[in-house]
Amino acid sequence: MFLARIDGRITSTIKHETLEGACLLIGQRLEADGKPSGEPLVVFDRIGAPRGAVVLVSTDGDIQRKLRGNTTPARLTVVGLVDFVAGAAV
Amino acid sequence: MRIGVVRGHVVLSIALPELRGTRFLIVEPVTAENLAKNDGSGGGKALIVADQLGPGIGQLIAFTEGSEAANPYWPNLAPVDAYCALIINDVDYRPPVPQGE
Repeated sequence: MFLARIDGRITSTIKHETLEGACLLIGQRLEADGKPSGEPLVVFDRIGAPRGAVVLVSTDGDIQRKLRGNTTPARLTVVGLVDFVAGAAV
Repeated sequence: MRIGVVRGHVVLSIALPELRGTRFLIVEPVTAENLAKNDGSGGGKALIVADQLGPGIGQLIAFTEGSEAANPYWPNLAPVDAYCALIINDVDYRPPVPQGE
């Protein structure tokens, strides 16, 4: 799991059938020093994370398989909104 | 899922039977800088992505990586580690401006 900042969202009409109705946000992974790293990521959100929020993202797709069926390619999942981080600057 | 620009596709003469009906796209991942520019540039290291949706050249897609990329072939197993999950219509991307730059 890692922390990510929500920088935007995408819309899609043509998608895998299991992704119908999904809320797709653009997250930017943050390292321990708070700096962004890597390429922007499309993440699945169910908690309504707002733009600019720092969230906890899991790379495990099992929860998406449970929600969307065994054939879903969905993977990165927003699991929570970060309140504060102790011991590192984010 | 990362975001990528479709640059082309690969055609196989012989393929594993599990992969029938799958296209193989050449995809250039989009970096944060280029996503902000939204000018069709990618900037990442290109890779091959399995696809069943049929995006055209220049279109933006989001692709899953890792074992989840083979989920669409369930209950069959397929040796796929990158899969085009959706074609992007619209990107609303506004990262914060770095301070002091």
